[in-house]
Amino acid sequence: MSRKIAFALSALVLTFATGVTAAFAGPTRGSTDPGVTSTSILLGTTSPLSGVASAYASVARGADAYFKYVNGRGGVNGRKILDTIVDDAYNPALTVQATRQLVEQDKVFAVFNGLGTEQNLAVRDYLNAQKVPQLFAASGATAFGSETAKYPYTIGLQPSYQAEGWVLGKYLARTQGATKVAVLFQNDDYGADLLNGFKKGIERSRVRIAAAQPYEVTASDVQAQIAKLRSSGANVFAVFATPKFAIQAYVYANKLGWKPKLSLTNAVSSASNVMQLASEGGTNKVVEGSVSIVFLKDPTDPSWKNDAAMRLYRSIMKRYAPSANVDDVYHVYGMAAAWTAVEALRRAGKDLTRDGLVKVVANMNFTGNPFLLPGIGLRTGPGDHFPIEQMVLQRWHKGTWKSFGGIWGYRTA
Amino acid sequence: MSRSRALAPVVAFVVLAVVVAVLPSFVSAFRAQQLAYVAIYLVALLGLNILTGYTGQISLGHGAFMAIGGYTTAILMTDHGVKDVWTIPLAGLVAGIVGFLFGIPALRLSGLYLALATFAVAVSMPAVIKRFEGFTGGGGGINLFGVPELTASLTPVTVLGRELTFNDWIYYLCWTIALVGYVVAWLLVRGRTGRAFRAVRDSESAAQSAGVSLASYKTLAFGVSAAYAGVAGSLFAIATTFVNPDTFPVALSILLLVGVVVGGLGSLAGLIAGAVFIQFLPIWSQEVSKSPGAPAVVSGVVLIALMFVLPMGFAGLVDRLRALTKR
Repeated sequence: MSRKIAFALSALVLTFATGVTAAFAGPTRGSTDPGVTSTSILLGTTSPLSGVASAYASVARGADAYFKYVNGRGGVNGRKILDTIVDDAYNPALTVQATRQLVEQDKVFAVFNGLGTEQNLAVRDYLNAQKVPQLFAASGATAFGSETAKYPYTIGLQPSYQAEGWVLGKYLARTQGATKVAVLFQNDDYGADLLNGFKKGIERSRVRIAAAQPYEVTASDVQAQIAKLRSSGANVFAVFATPKFAIQAYVYANKLGWKPKLSLTNAVSSASNVMQLASEGGTNKVVEGSVSIVFLKDPTDPSWKNDAAMRLYRSIMKRYAPSANVDDVYHVYGMAAAWTAVEALRRAGKDLTRDGLVKVVANMNFTGNPFLLPGIGLRTGPGDHFPIEQMVLQRWHKGTWKSFGGIWGYRTA
Repeated sequence: MSRSRALAPVVAFVVLAVVVAVLPSFVSAFRAQQLAYVAIYLVALLGLNILTGYTGQISLGHGAFMAIGGYTTAILMTDHGVKDVWTIPLAGLVAGIVGFLFGIPALRLSGLYLALATFAVAVSMPAVIKRFEGFTGGGGGINLFGVPELTASLTPVTVLGRELTFNDWIYYLCWTIALVGYVVAWLLVRGRTGRAFRAVRDSESAAQSAGVSLASYKTLAFGVSAAYAGVAGSLFAIATTFVNPDTFPVALSILLLVGVVVGGLGSLAGLIAGAVFIQFLPIWSQEVSKSPGAPAVVSGVVLIALMFVLPMGFAGLVDRLRALTKR
């Protein structure tokens, strides 16, 4: 018996020795970068097409529609942009596998607008080691914009969560005088960035945080937290959450009969469809008058009804993503990212290389992105990989957002 | 006749080992990396099948034991400078001890109640990991790529005089461990211990009256099974070069149970098909359609269809074919 096993194991070892010998050595690298031909540029995107966060899939769909529109008009420097979208189900382990597929099998030129904080963190070291640009990571975590020396190939896009929290805090400090704030925040880097920015914004003012309640992203609801926040006696309610929990927060606050004089909410959870759900058909008074920040043109905002860019947006959606919900602001986000990529590729020139592209996006000064609010530019520089650092305040009134005041800026880096 | 019957599994195994050994010469490095994940899932399925298929204890929480293994490896590598390969047995040991300890209270639970208890472990694991942020890196997780303890991530490694890239290295590492794990599992279930496991599964009272100690065999099955899951988690962390709480979601635990059922409860050979199934089904279903929600529906339909066609999993298919040839 034991001889048989010894035989089997030695056979195993032998075959491995031959197998290892037979396996061929590393990949060869050509003189030009992968993913670029005379007629095409191949990009790759990881997106939660399935799973809990599949609402964010609209971002990739909006970007894809815009690339198709650009290709229909001749592409960039004579090249068409092809974007391969791979599902990662919002699971960072799958993001790693999908990204390796994009880089090693599909041989993309760059990774574009992959979605999620942890998802982008999971592939950042890999992409930088492979010298593949990680363009416009769809996350507001400060890590993507500030660690430029260690990760030169990584660049963010939207205002950092810290900047967002700071603007909301500063707004309170300037307009409200002595107030007590109750904060609900997600217990991860995302929630912590928002809260820390907020704390910086209210420094040296008469605004105080009366209570701050964390919740886990895996939790089923936030009822207990809202009850505690209500009993803190605060008169301003700040929601730093993701959409599902933001809706719950508003609904529970209303149910408990809490009437804060003002509610604040962050951009990720303030999409119009989220607010409409939270407002319970307009009956929820906690939602009415909420203040948030915005940097994109919201398709439901009546001020952009006849705006040229939003007319273009609707026609692109109609043509290239006919079954999608045109009111979904995530599509606009995707298009804003795609516009920026197209502009960067155009400026990187006919002789396109990865390093050339990174040089362009690391020294951006782009204006005129039609999907961003007027006056908001895209700027980067040494040590600053945060393209968008400006935003506008908006107020929820009778079922739509209305922006007010001027442009707020905050430099995270 | 009886001698050739006894040799048949050994021959089949050697054929499998040869196929595994030469395969990377015929597929791309990227495909080799995907196949490495098949080996990782195979390790986890071998363990889960010892517990569920042979001993009859349903676990919906094996993703949590994988998480323990994965974090053991990641923490040992980044905080204590232990080379990746040496963390693998330690990860198995840690997860095995936790599994053994979990097996003690689990003795009081049976059937659906045990399934629920293990499910609760899987559900709470991500929150527990986030709670101890200083130790586990919280939601941001632990990155292993480029860490010097990780073999071959930046420069190829030389094994037996041959240069291996990261993908090929991971492939051979995972499959070597999977095949050794396969032999160990085979030895375990074919002998005295395996008979006791099966007796516990078939009838607890009959097993007890035949002198099988329920407590020791159930906790043993839990321990061994969790050790396998720990090794799989460790390999998962090394191959993925990253761990965070979301890399071991509840869905992973369910996926593993699906793998065991598709492979065939109470069989070892079918598990290879089960491992291929859970690694490639999500990828294949994406190729069918990428519209929102569609991949999940395709996976679900395939799974239902498979359960109709192969009620006993792939192992049942092999048995059926064998029955056909005998007639």
